[in-house]
Amino acid sequence: MSATLERTPTVASPRRDAPAKDSRKLVRSQVRAGWLLLAPALLHSGIFLVIPIIFAVALSFTDYSFGDSWSWVGFENYSVLFGDANFRAAFANTVLYAVVVIPVSMAVSLAIALGLNQKIRGLGFFRTAFYVPTVTATVAIATIWLWIYNPGSGLANGFLSLFGFAPNQWLSNPDTALPSLMVVGIWQGLGTKIIIYLAALQGVSRDLQESAALDGASRWQRFANVTWPALGPVQFFVLVTSIVGTFQVFDLVYVMTDGGPGTETMVLVLDIYQNAFQDLRLGFASAETVILMLLIAVFIGLGRLLQKADVND
Amino acid sequence: MTSATVTGPIAGSKAPGLRVGRVLLYVALCLGALVMITPFVWMVLTAFKSDLEIAKFSWLPGELRWRNFVEAMQTAPFLRYFRNSLFIAIGETAFTLAVCTTAGYALAKLPIRGSKALLSYFILLLLVPFQIILVPLFLIVKSIPLFGGNNILGQGGIGWLNSWWGLIIPLGAAPLFTFLARQFYVSLPNELAQAARVDGLGEFGIFWRIMTPLIKPALITICVFQIEAAWNAFLWPLMITTSDEMRPLQLGLAIFAQNPAEVQWPYLMAGTALATLPMIVMFIFAQKRFVEGMANVGIKG
Repeated sequence: MSATLERTPTVASPRRDAPAKDSRKLVRSQVRAGWLLLAPALLHSGIFLVIPIIFAVALSFTDYSFGDSWSWVGFENYSVLFGDANFRAAFANTVLYAVVVIPVSMAVSLAIALGLNQKIRGLGFFRTAFYVPTVTATVAIATIWLWIYNPGSGLANGFLSLFGFAPNQWLSNPDTALPSLMVVGIWQGLGTKIIIYLAALQGVSRDLQESAALDGASRWQRFANVTWPALGPVQFFVLVTSIVGTFQVFDLVYVMTDGGPGTETMVLVLDIYQNAFQDLRLGFASAETVILMLLIAVFIGLGRLLQKADVND
Repeated sequence: MTSATVTGPIAGSKAPGLRVGRVLLYVALCLGALVMITPFVWMVLTAFKSDLEIAKFSWLPGELRWRNFVEAMQTAPFLRYFRNSLFIAIGETAFTLAVCTTAGYALAKLPIRGSKALLSYFILLLLVPFQIILVPLFLIVKSIPLFGGNNILGQGGIGWLNSWWGLIIPLGAAPLFTFLARQFYVSLPNELAQAARVDGLGEFGIFWRIMTPLIKPALITICVFQIEAAWNAFLWPLMITTSDEMRPLQLGLAIFAQNPAEVQWPYLMAGTALATLPMIVMFIFAQKRFVEGMANVGIKG
C-alpha cells in the first residue's frame, strides 16, 4: 500500500556463496553481535517498562504506602475504588473526554488533510500552522489557554462580546469546564493526525483515482471507494495513538483546573497522581492504574472491531 | 512522489464551480490556520503589556515592554530552568540514540532467533502509556542500588530521585524510537553489509561505519522527537524533583501559573514564550524530516 515510501534496492550482481563452514561461523558472529547490540534496549525496557507493569498489578492487591510494613489485601482496593466519589467522577469524565475528543479530532484532521492534499499553494505554511500546537509543551499550551479563558480580560470573552455574548467563567462554571478542556485537547491534537493522514493520502494510488475519475465517479464516490479503504491501516494507527493519548490527559487538567470546580474535570491520571503522591495510598492508586490499563485495552479492542466491520462492508 | 512526470490535468477546461470550490478551500484552510496560530500571537502580545493594559480585553500593547522578559526572569529562575531543560534534553537524546539505533539495527539486519517476536514486544510496549507505570516506576527509581545513599539492595536512600540520572535514564530510549530506527534500517539493501563483510569489516564496524551513516534522516527524526519529548515532559519531573536546582522549564511554568488569582499574566506569557519558541524554531527548521519520520512510523507499521 505504500509503494512510494519503500526504496527498492538496486539489484547487485549475485555474489558467490562462501564455503558452508565459514558461513556458519559468520552467522554465529552475527548472532552474537545482534544480541550484544540489542542488550541495552532489552535491559532498559525490562527495568523501566516491563517490571513496572507487573509491579503495578501486584501493588494493586496491597495496602502499600511508602512505609516499611504492608500486607496483601486481595480485591479490597478495587471494591473501595468503585464506591469512591472521586474515582467515579474521574472515570466518567475521562471516558466522556475520550469519546468526544477522539472522533471529533480524527474527523477534523482528516478533513483538513484532504484539503491540504489538493495540490494547494503554501503547503509548508499550513503544515507548520497546524503542527505548532503539537510541538509546544502541554504546560505552555495550558497557561496560554488559561489566559484565553480568563473571565475578566481573556480572548474568549473578548471575542464573544463582539457578538453580544455575556462573559462566561469558562473554567469555573461546571457546565463549561470540561468542554473548555476538550476544545484545547482537540486543538492541540490535530497536527499529528493531519500529518499522518496527509502522508497516507499521498500513498493512495493516483492511477486508481484517475481511472475512477475517467469512469465518471463523482468526488464523493472516489473518496468512499478509493481513498477511504486505502486509509484503513492508518486509521487504526491514528485511533490507537489517540486512545492512548486522550486517556493520559494530565498536564492540561493539572495546570488549568486541577480537577475542579468540585470534581467536574477530575480525570483518572490526576486522581491517580493525587492518591499516590498526595495521600500516599500507593496500593489504591495502583488499582486505579490497572483499571485505566483495562479501559485502554477495551477501547483499543472496540477500535479493532470497528475497523473489521468497516473492512467487511 | 514518483509520478511527478505525467500528471497533466485530467479535464482540460475546469468548470467555474471548481474555481469557487478552490476559493472556499483556501478560505477554510486559512481560517483553520488562524485558529491554530491566534493563541500564540495573543501570548506574544500579552507578554509586552503592562498590568494596567491587561485589566481589560485588548489586542495590541501600547508599547513593546521588552523589560517584561527581563523582569519575568528575575521573578522566577527561568534561566536556570531553561538550562536544566536543555541539559535533560541533550542527555536523553544521546542516551536514546545510543540504545535505539543499536537495537533497531539488530532487529532489522542481524539473524537473531525470534527477532519477529522481539519486534512485536517493542511494538506492544510502544502502546503502554507512561501513566500506567507511574507509581512502580517511582519506586524502582527510588531503589536503584548504590545511588543516593542506597545500599546494594536498594534500601535506605533516595536512589535516583532528585538526580539527573532519574530525570534522564528512565524516560529515554522509548520503544517508539527502536521501532523507528528499525523501520529505516530494514529498507537498506543487505548487499551493502555483505560487501563490507567480504572486505573483512566486523559486525560493529558494519553497523557503525556503513549502515548508520545511511539512515541520517532517521537519526535526525529521532533527535527532534526526543528533544521535543524531553523539553515538554512534565509529570515525571514533577514527581521526582523536590529542589529548584534541577527543575525543568515546564515545571517552573506550572509553579508560576499555580495561583490564578495572583498570576502576573505578562510575566507568565513572557516565560511561556521563552519556553515555546525554541521548539517552534526547531520544528520550522526540521519540518520536512519531522514530517517524513512521522509518516514512516504511521504507514510502514
